[in-house]
Amino acid sequence: MTTGAERRGGAGGGRRAGWRAWVLLAPLLAWLLLFIVVPALVLLVYSFCERDELGRVVYTFTAENYQRVLDPVYLRIFGRSIGYAALTTLICVGVGFPVAYYIGRSPEGLRDRLLLLIMVPFWTSFLIRTYAWITILKQEGLLNAVLQALAPALGPLDLLYTPAAVLIGLVYGYLPFMILPIYGSVEKLDGAIIEAAHDLGAGPLRVFSSVIIPLTLPGIAAGTLLVFVPSIAMFAITDLMGGARVPLIGNVIQNQFLQARDWPFGAALGVAFLVLFAVTYWGLLRFRERGEEAGG
Amino acid sequence: MNLPRPTRRLASLLLALALPVSVPAAGVLNLFGWSEYVPQTVIDGFTKETGIKVNFETYASNEELISKLVAGGGRYDLVQPSDYAAEVMIRQKLLAPLDSARLPNLKNLLPDFLRRPHDPEGRYTVAYMSGTVGIVVNTEKVKEPIKGYRDVFQPKFKNRLVVLNDSREIVSWALYTLGLPVNGISKESLAKARPVVAEWVKLVKVFDSDSPKTALLNGDVDLGVVWSGEAAILWNQNKKFQYVIPAEGAHQFIDVLAIPAGAKNQAEAHQFINYILRPEVSKLISAAFPYTNPNAAARRLLSPQELANPASYPKEGKLESQEREMRRKERRIGGGAQAA
Amino acid sequence: MSEPVQSSSRSPSGLRVTRAVLGLWTGGVLLFLYLPVLVLVVYSFNASRLNVVWEGFTFGWYREVWSNGPLWQAARNSLVVALVTTLVSVVLGTVGGWLLHRYRFRGGGAIETLAAIPMVMPEILMGISLLILFAAAGMELGFTTVIIGHVTFCFPFVLVAVRARLQGLDPALEEAALDLGATPIQAFWRVIVPNLQPAIVAGGLMAFTLSWDELIVTFFTTSAASATLPIRVFGMAKVGLNPMLNALSALFVTVTVAFVLFSAYLKRLARG
Repeated sequence: MTTGAERRGGAGGGRRAGWRAWVLLAPLLAWLLLFIVVPALVLLVYSFCERDELGRVVYTFTAENYQRVLDPVYLRIFGRSIGYAALTTLICVGVGFPVAYYIGRSPEGLRDRLLLLIMVPFWTSFLIRTYAWITILKQEGLLNAVLQALAPALGPLDLLYTPAAVLIGLVYGYLPFMILPIYGSVEKLDGAIIEAAHDLGAGPLRVFSSVIIPLTLPGIAAGTLLVFVPSIAMFAITDLMGGARVPLIGNVIQNQFLQARDWPFGAALGVAFLVLFAVTYWGLLRFRERGEEAGG
Repeated sequence: MNLPRPTRRLASLLLALALPVSVPAAGVLNLFGWSEYVPQTVIDGFTKETGIKVNFETYASNEELISKLVAGGGRYDLVQPSDYAAEVMIRQKLLAPLDSARLPNLKNLLPDFLRRPHDPEGRYTVAYMSGTVGIVVNTEKVKEPIKGYRDVFQPKFKNRLVVLNDSREIVSWALYTLGLPVNGISKESLAKARPVVAEWVKLVKVFDSDSPKTALLNGDVDLGVVWSGEAAILWNQNKKFQYVIPAEGAHQFIDVLAIPAGAKNQAEAHQFINYILRPEVSKLISAAFPYTNPNAAARRLLSPQELANPASYPKEGKLESQEREMRRKERRIGGGAQAA
Repeated sequence: MSEPVQSSSRSPSGLRVTRAVLGLWTGGVLLFLYLPVLVLVVYSFNASRLNVVWEGFTFGWYREVWSNGPLWQAARNSLVVALVTTLVSVVLGTVGGWLLHRYRFRGGGAIETLAAIPMVMPEILMGISLLILFAAAGMELGFTTVIIGHVTFCFPFVLVAVRARLQGLDPALEEAALDLGATPIQAFWRVIVPNLQPAIVAGGLMAFTLSWDELIVTFFTTSAASATLPIRVFGMAKVGLNPMLNALSALFVTVTVAFVLFSAYLKRLARG
C-alpha cells in the first residue's frame, strides 16, 4: 500500500531519496557543480574587482560595481526586459496553445511530423532568418506592399526598428518553446474525458476551461518557463530588428564584455541578475510545494 | 545498472571527437581573423605554395578577439585586429615583435601605412586593409549639401539616420564637431561632448556596426555615418549613395596583421604575412572587399573602376588616425549614450 | 432515452468543428513560421551579392555553396555538436527529471533552481566563464569543450519538458511494474521512458535547435577545427552576408521538409 504523500508526485517529489537515487542523480549534480556553480563563483569574484584597459580584472576588493548596478538607468532597463519577456510569453501562450492542442490530438503518425515542421524553420541560420524578417517588415517591404494593395488609406507602416518589430521577432523565435511542452501535456489527455464532458452537456468553452486547461496546466507552466526565462536575457533581436535603440538587460551585459571592456561591471550585472532570478524561482517552487501540501 | 555503460560509451565518443584537435603543429598556421575578410582563395593559394595548413578560426569583432585572448582561449599564430585594438595589445605585451628581415615584401606598402601611431616603430604590426568612417548620403532623398557631422545630426533628419553602434565612435564625432582633440581626451572635453552626444542619439533610427548598409539600401533611412567599406558597397550598388568625408575631421582605421606573444609557429606566420604583401595576392583581397588597399604595388594592379570608388579611395578630407584609449571616464559617456 | 442519443450525435460534430478551427489556426501559425523561410529561399536565387536588393534570378549561389569547403566543414561540425548535445541532454534531462519527480532530495529546491539557471544566464557570461574554467583546467578547446557548453544550456529544456509530462502521471503504473518484480531501473526503462516519449521528442527537438544555432558560448569554447556554422556566418559581418548563406539555409529546410513529407508518403504506400 502506498500513502497519499507518495502518490502525489508533486514538486516536492515522492518518497525520500535513498543512496541509489543519489547515485543516479550524481552525474547531473556533478554537471551543475562544475559548469554552473564554479563559473558562477568566478563571476562572483570578478564582480568585486576592478578592470584594466583590456577589461581584464585586477584583483582588488570594491563594491563599486554593485553600486552602479543600482543606478536607476539599469533598473529601468531591467524592468523593460521583464516587460518584453512577459508580453512575449503571453502572446506565445495565446498563439501556441491551439497549435499544441491540435498537434496533440492529431493521429499518432502525424504528430511527430507536425512537431518537426514547427521546428524546421529554426534550422536556418538566425542571421539569415532575421534579415528575411527585415525584408518583410521594411518600409518598402512585403508586408507594406500587401497592406498597400488591401488598404491604401493606411499608408506604409513604420514597423521595422520599432518595439513592435522586436516583439514580432521575440514571439517568432520563442513560439516553438511554448508549443512543444504544451504538446507533451495535451498528448496525455484522455480523449474519453473530453467526450464525457461533452456528453454531459458541457459547451466547448466550458470543456476547455474546466477540463482541458486544468489537465494541461503543467505543460503551460513549462512553456511559460521556457519562453519567459530565456527571453529576459535575449539580446540579438533587439539589435537587429529594434535598431539597437532600446537596450534590454541582455544587451547591457553583453556590451560590458564586447564593447565597454568592463568585465567586473558586466559580472556584477550578471550576478545581480542571476541572484534575483534564483531567489524568485526558488520562492515560486516553495510556494507551489506549500500549495500542493495544503491542497492535498 | 544500465546507465554507466552508455555514459562510458559517450565519454569515449567525446574523446574520439577531441583527438583531431591535438595534431602535431608542424607546418601549421593558426589564423584568427574575420571570416571571409581573408578570402578562401588566398588561403588556398598559400597552402598550395608552401604546404602549410591554415587553421582559420573566425571572430566578428575586435572585442571578441580580445575577450577570447584575455580569457585564455586558443593558441593563435596570427591575429587580425584593428589599429586601436592592436595598440592596447602592444601596451599589454600581448604581441610578439616582427622580424622585418623575413618580410621583404614590406617594401610594397605605402609609406603612409608604415609607422602609424598605434605602432610608432612598426615593430609589431603590418597593415592589411584600411578604411575611414564617414557619411553616406542618399542623394535622391536628401537634396541639401551634407558636408559634416553638423549637417547630419539635424532635428529635421530625426529617424532618418543610421550610425555605427559604437559609443567610442559617436563620442569622437562629437569631439571633432566641437573642435576638441580626439587623441588625448580629457575629463573637460568629455563633459563638453556629453550633451552633444545625448542630443544626437535621439535622432538616430538604427544603430548598426555590422551591416549599416542594410537600412540605407532598404530605404528605411537616408543618411548614415558608417565604415567606408560599407559605403563603397553602397556606391557600387547605386551611385545615389554618396560618400562624404566629414569636414570636421574623420578617423582612418587600419586593420593589421600581428603575431600574438608566445605563438608557436612564428616562422609560418611571417611567411603568411609576406605572402599577403605580394601585389597579386593583395589585389585579390581588394577585389573581394572594397576597403582601401595600403599596398602601393597592388594598387597599380587595380582596375580604374575600383580606384574610382570615392569611398575606397577618397580624394579629399582631413584624415586622422586615432589613438582611442579606453579610459574609465570615457566609458561613462559611452554608457550614457547607450542608455539614453 | 432520447437525450443521450441526441447529445452523442451532437458532440462529435461539435468536436469536428472545433478541430477544423484549430486546424486552420495551426495552418496560420505554420504560415507565420515559414514566411521568413520563403523569403530567404526566394533570395537564395537573387543575382545581387547583397541579400537586400532583388536583381534577377540565378543558381550561382548554390554552385558557390557547393564548392565552399569551409562552409560545409562548419555545417558538419554544427551537426556533430548538435547531435551529441541532444543525446547527452536527453539522458541528463530525462533521468534528472524523473529522479527529481520521483524522490524527495535534500535540497531539491536548490538543485532545481540551479538546473534552471542556464536558461536565464546570458550567453556571454556562460561563454567567458566556461573559457576561464577550461583554460584554468588546461583543457584544449575543441569539440569536447563546445559540447560541454551546449549541454549546459540545453539539458534544462529537456528536464522542464519531462517534468511537465510527469506531473499527474499515474504512479500506479510504475508500482505495478515494481510489484511484478521489476527493478526500479527496469521499471524506469520499460514503463516510464515509453510514457515520456512525447516529452523526450519535444525536449530533444528543442535541444537540437538551440545547439544548432548558438553563437556566443560556442565562440568562446571552440577551436578552428570545431567551429560551427553560426561562427562562420556571424564572422562574415565585416564583409557582408551573401545569398550563399540563404542557399545553404534553403537546402537544409527543403531537405528536412522533403524528408518529413516523403516519410508520410512512404508510410501511406506501405499501408495502402
